[in-house]
Amino acid sequence: MAVLKINGKENFFDGLLPATLSELLIELKVDATTVVAEVDGEIIEREKFGSFNLKEGQSIELVRFVPGG
Amino acid sequence: MFFLFWFEMVSIAEKLANATVGVAGLGGLGSVVAECLLRSGIGKLIIADFDVVDKSNLNRQRYFADQVGKLKVEAAKENLLRINPKAVIESYNQKITAENVPQIFAEATIVAECLDEVQQKQILVETILTRTGKAIVSASGIAGFGNSNSIETKWISDKLIVCGDFESGIDNNKIVTAGRVGIVACHQANAIFELIINGKT
Repeated sequence: MAVLKINGKENFFDGLLPATLSELLIELKVDATTVVAEVDGEIIEREKFGSFNLKEGQSIELVRFVPGG
Repeated sequence: MFFLFWFEMVSIAEKLANATVGVAGLGGLGSVVAECLLRSGIGKLIIADFDVVDKSNLNRQRYFADQVGKLKVEAAKENLLRINPKAVIESYNQKITAENVPQIFAEATIVAECLDEVQQKQILVETILTRTGKAIVSASGIAGFGNSNSIETKWISDKLIVCGDFESGIDNNKIVTAGRVGIVACHQANAIFELIINGKT
């Protein structure tokens, strides 16, 4: 079973991992325009979510913004 | 003992006085963050907003009834200079874009994200982190009232810190109250002090 660490918690995926950050966000039902993503300490620009390939064991921080300020 | 304490106080005051901090957005978060930073002796503030003070803002934002209709950058500067007439404040009456962020906050080492709209928040945080070496102290989840202890400071790295409860948006017909948004703003200001005093900038 494939594992990704998302916001500090291990997430197990049956079969294949989502191929890219975009696919992961779709699976998590999170709107990409509301998110800043960090993978293994590196910030990934939103434009590159679709081409950023995910690998087993990566540590992902997803900061999701809600409106108000 | 007293001497050591005095020495520490002087060293902290010096670090704060040498710091330049940006505040993007001057609403319920930004007007409070700017005031906290200024009162604690931050050397220079760079403030940015494109809005004017509305009567409905007065329940939580640090403006006065006689400032309704004024540009927020002007009203904020006026109020901050009343607290400390010697304060150094640079202001920009501009909406934040990926293009103008590096230029507006060029001198700052830390930026407080105090914006309202989600897409604006995303643009500012991503731009600061990918195009500058600065730290950003952001906010997510400020609406409602009560439940103070659900608000936290999440230290993702020394460059990315997020404060809030991460779920209470103004999109769920939630009201915004001075207490709750003020708590988030003070979390932001406190994280900024921590970064500066611990030499993380």
